[in-house]
Amino acid sequence: MSAVIFEGVSKKFRRGERHDSLRDLVPALFKRAFHGAPDRQALADQEFWAVRDLSFRVGAGEALGIIGPNGAGKSTTLKLLTKILRPTRGRIEINGRVGALIEVAAGFHPDLTGRENVYLQGAIMGMSRAEIARKFDAIVDFSGVQEFIDTPVKRYSSGMNARLGFAIAAHLDPDVLIIDEVLSVGDVGFQEKCVTRMRELLARGIPLVFVSHNLSAIVQLCTRAILIDRGAVQFDGRPAEAVAEFRKARREPIAAGAAAPDKPIAITDVQLLQADGEPSPLFTTGRPMTIRVGYHARQPIRQPHVAIDIHGVDGVYCAGINTRMDDCALGTLEGRGFVDLAIAKLSLLPGCYTISAGILDPQGLRPLDLQERAFPFSVVSDRRDFGFVYLEHQWTHANGAEARPVSRHDARLSPRPARSLAAVAVQEELG
Amino acid sequence: MTILMEVVAEQWEYRELLVRMTARDLLLRYKQTVMGFGWAIFMPLVNTAIFSVIFTRVATIDVGTPYPVYAFCGLVAWNFFASSLRFSVTSLTSNPSLVTKVYFPREIFPFSAVLVSIVDFAVSATVLAALMLYYRVDVGWPILMLPVVFLAIVIFTAATSLLVSMANLFYRDVKYLFEIVIAVWMFATSVVYPIGRVGGRLGAALALNPMTHLIDAFRAVLLDQRMPGMAFGFTFAASIALLGIAWVTFHLAEFDFAENL
Repeated sequence: MSAVIFEGVSKKFRRGERHDSLRDLVPALFKRAFHGAPDRQALADQEFWAVRDLSFRVGAGEALGIIGPNGAGKSTTLKLLTKILRPTRGRIEINGRVGALIEVAAGFHPDLTGRENVYLQGAIMGMSRAEIARKFDAIVDFSGVQEFIDTPVKRYSSGMNARLGFAIAAHLDPDVLIIDEVLSVGDVGFQEKCVTRMRELLARGIPLVFVSHNLSAIVQLCTRAILIDRGAVQFDGRPAEAVAEFRKARREPIAAGAAAPDKPIAITDVQLLQADGEPSPLFTTGRPMTIRVGYHARQPIRQPHVAIDIHGVDGVYCAGINTRMDDCALGTLEGRGFVDLAIAKLSLLPGCYTISAGILDPQGLRPLDLQERAFPFSVVSDRRDFGFVYLEHQWTHANGAEARPVSRHDARLSPRPARSLAAVAVQEELG
Repeated sequence: MTILMEVVAEQWEYRELLVRMTARDLLLRYKQTVMGFGWAIFMPLVNTAIFSVIFTRVATIDVGTPYPVYAFCGLVAWNFFASSLRFSVTSLTSNPSLVTKVYFPREIFPFSAVLVSIVDFAVSATVLAALMLYYRVDVGWPILMLPVVFLAIVIFTAATSLLVSMANLFYRDVKYLFEIVIAVWMFATSVVYPIGRVGGRLGAALALNPMTHLIDAFRAVLLDQRMPGMAFGFTFAASIALLGIAWVTFHLAEFDFAENL
């Protein structure tokens, strides 16, 4: 049985302002009485479908990510999920208690102390008094505001406020968990705690719906993702593929294929190629990846350098590679051509990344052309490691006698027979 | 009817939240005001003093019991009704973050306003008891009907609270209109004088006011050692029906709240 069922759900809003005072209503009623009702067409023009015929299901143990551009209907979907809005058409079924990590501090009253607010917010989220009392210490511990628990929350910083709210929500034992951008709460340490908590719930088989603009988090946390745009599902499948699809739709062409007259050289394109030489937005940990930088030189450029940077979408600088540091001479760049950077075994873990490419002067100091974070790609894998980088590893257990390997990741730790991931060293080949 | 059963069941499920929200409001009042619950006693006492001067020194009326007890008794019951409505009318609009962001049955807002007023009522009832002792008002067995009469007042108040809170959410000037209506309504009810003495067509119209029958019944069992009459029975039945209708209406409109706030 699916925990969440959306079946042909549509939600209509009316554009424009409504009468929200009697002062406006009374003249409007008079106008209506004397001039007749406004015609149907005018009314229909004011209508706006935020969500149109949306269908999806989420089953036990599934983590569904919902992504899409601004105004795609994500927030409306979220409000429909949490019963704040009722669909105009269609059916929504949610089995069990919904835990929504949305506006986790919405019920807080500034004049009440942290302790009083825990009880209040807990009750708002549907916990009983006994349940909150039982979990109180754990909640306060999780939030990290022990010292200030008897201080009115109006003296809290916004971070403390959010942490306390999240701590309450995290201790709700929901049947369905709905999350909206909460990963932006608190510092890195707190965020890690939150992700760990979500994984715990997921491991227990609790279905999860996660709406976010943080595409990396979607790829790392979700087992499935849907891309919605203009209120309807555009794609339904693996998170990395949904992200790739989403980015493909939004990517803007660069450089128009030729260098501007005032530039000696321009990057015309950057292609990401799989082992078979086919361009793809999707790569697999441990498999080859080739970054092909196309250029157009208006005049011969002697001994320039090419640099490639890889960033995580949240801005983490994952790798920086350039021909100068590799003591690699490219010769003279002239006319049109391309430079390939071949990575034999991609050691990035699943997530979303972007590539920046640059062509630098012979000293490697001044960029002749730079395309910053212009080329996104996603990584998928069976690996469940945390972080950004896959490290080749093996566990060993020593106990007095001789040390012996306890397991090999590719033999036993991995749920599926993993692909061989021998060397991690990245090889560069320049063509 | 099934809708009504559903909403009542859902409210029962969320009973702890109702208690919490009520506790929140009481706690806040205690923290934010110097007098705390003193206001619950102070206001009816001041009014009693004013009307005692008017109706015993200026325009003397005979109400059968010592006038201050008569007036205070009426004012305590009326204040419960009026303050419940006063808290309810803005209860939804003053909690926008909860209404637009978290789901729970929205009737918790007006209902907790009513519960807060019940606490005030209990506080001022102790003063009423003291006044009755001071003026040596005898009580008889009809006082056993007091819980029933009070229940009827609570039911009528709850129904009206649902309607005004909802109305103010859709039309924000309802709260201003409310102040006028409640002031007029008080003098159209037998709060500080027996309105039953108004005769003719006006009297007949005033007899339709449910609050008069409820407050009359309240005084009858408390001060006059009388059982409440037929009029009270009708009002009680009508109040239950009104609560059912108001609750279902509220529930049906509930899903539009977030869009209108």
